[in-house]
Amino acid sequence: MTTKVWAYSESSGPASEVAAAAKKIADSCGGESVCLELDELRTQVGGCHSKLLLRSEGRLGDSVETAGAAIGEAAASSVPDLILVAATRRGREVGSMLSVKLGRPCIGESFNLRLDGSSLKGDRSVYAGRVVATVSCELPAVAVVKLGAYEPSVEDGVQVVEERVGLPKARVITTGTSKKDAAKVDLRTAKVIVSGGRGFKRREDLDLLVKLAGALGGTIGCSRPLSSDLGWLGEEYHIGLTGVNVHPNLYLAVGISGQLQHVAGIKDSRVIAAINSDKDAPIFQASDYGVVGDLYQVIPAMLRLISGQA
Amino acid sequence: MKVAVCVKQAVDETDLRVDPSGAPMVSAASTKVSVFDKNAVEEALRLKAKAGGEVVVFCLGPPEARKTIKEVLAMGADRAVHVVGDAGSVDSMSTSYLLAKAIRRWGPFDAVLCAEGSSDTYSGQVPPMLSEWLSLPFLGYAKRVEIGASTVTAELSLEDRVETVEAPIPFLASVVSEINEPRYPTLIQIMQASKKQVEEVPAVDLAGGELPRATSVTSLTALSMDRKRIIFSGPPEEAAKKLLDALRGEGVIQK
Repeated sequence: MTTKVWAYSESSGPASEVAAAAKKIADSCGGESVCLELDELRTQVGGCHSKLLLRSEGRLGDSVETAGAAIGEAAASSVPDLILVAATRRGREVGSMLSVKLGRPCIGESFNLRLDGSSLKGDRSVYAGRVVATVSCELPAVAVVKLGAYEPSVEDGVQVVEERVGLPKARVITTGTSKKDAAKVDLRTAKVIVSGGRGFKRREDLDLLVKLAGALGGTIGCSRPLSSDLGWLGEEYHIGLTGVNVHPNLYLAVGISGQLQHVAGIKDSRVIAAINSDKDAPIFQASDYGVVGDLYQVIPAMLRLISGQA
Repeated sequence: MKVAVCVKQAVDETDLRVDPSGAPMVSAASTKVSVFDKNAVEEALRLKAKAGGEVVVFCLGPPEARKTIKEVLAMGADRAVHVVGDAGSVDSMSTSYLLAKAIRRWGPFDAVLCAEGSSDTYSGQVPPMLSEWLSLPFLGYAKRVEIGASTVTAELSLEDRVETVEAPIPFLASVVSEINEPRYPTLIQIMQASKKQVEEVPAVDLAGGELPRATSVTSLTALSMDRKRIIFSGPPEEAAKKLLDALRGEGVIQK
């Protein structure tokens, strides 16, 4: 029997990442990878051997409830050995629901997924990123795949199979949607991130952060206190365990103490640098380069040096 | 309004030591209430303040998890159900299955609240799995929850947008930490907490047979933070120059 691996994400970028994961696993055992689409085909999504388009008399992909039920129905008849779902907030929900619906084990937040005979193995980071756990389960299974763990690849011209499924009844109804500031902030793909924390005394002072990010060709982010407790920046700027996980070339933490929950979200950065007035701040333990100093003096000095005025 | 709220006693990741072979010493680490759970308890208390009723805490964990239960009872929850079992040896699937069994036995509830994830393993699976076991409408990553006469309205915080949704009561919601500021119990509340009712049920009795198919952890490896840890101090201008030179040397900035 050929091993069948399905890949799904409601979001286009993560969909191609998880498709690449599915293809890699399928290729390792001469299996078949299938990219799942709900309602319509997305041209920017691909990377599997084929596509399976699920349709019904109404929209399926807009809610967790209908997406989960539709994929569950299709999987109950086709019985893929493995279903991969990208770990967006919605994806975690769809993957978890599918595992209960189909009575399958589910590995969460996984990367480095591989087959070992009839079992699936995957790694995941636990305890605020301090430990990597290798988790295994028997196939058929579900895995929620960590964002950024696989390089997306899109191939055109794959075979598309269309399948009709019933329209599940949705109990949760969406009555409105408002966009976050996310269009301006693409922290997941940013090459340089300059991030601020409690060391900033007033909201207006974040102007320094914006200027430094601009001078270094980067984008701004923040630790949890600034977005959650103080509300100086939107939640979409929050970098850390419960916020965005980033992997830029340079992560510069300014006035951030470096709690484990924050470090968990930045540990995949290539170079980490920090500016903090407290020489014992834990962020220095997680950094390649650190400046012990007052950000109100260090940032202006950096700006002068960059503009050549110093 | 009867509200169930699920809490977990989590490993305190700041207390995690590594043995000489590089293996993390998980069982030697101290434990604490999974910090995000306090937001779920706070929200449950707010729902009760508006609509009356009671807040019942559900916790799966070893006997020592009584500490966590007491802590959230002190916040104002009315009573608790302690499913006694080793939470460390079961995965999200089994945890959600056992919690669902307990919630059904002590229910029905109008609302079931959870945090978005736990501070130690953070995979966000238990709440949606629980909603499946309990066949409840699921509101994930809620940053606002408002109760109406027969419906609930919530704002769900997703990566790029906030969705406003409506669902019938009863429902299950997972809340993000932005939703509220958890209260600190007073000394009197802490003292009163030990008088509140905690019913214990062994996990094996509750499961009544086999647990669902689950995952198992085959190895744990401590991650070493291999960073250079080069510190520049001295006058700001001088330190700033050294930092910029170092970053240019790494090729991560052009200017």
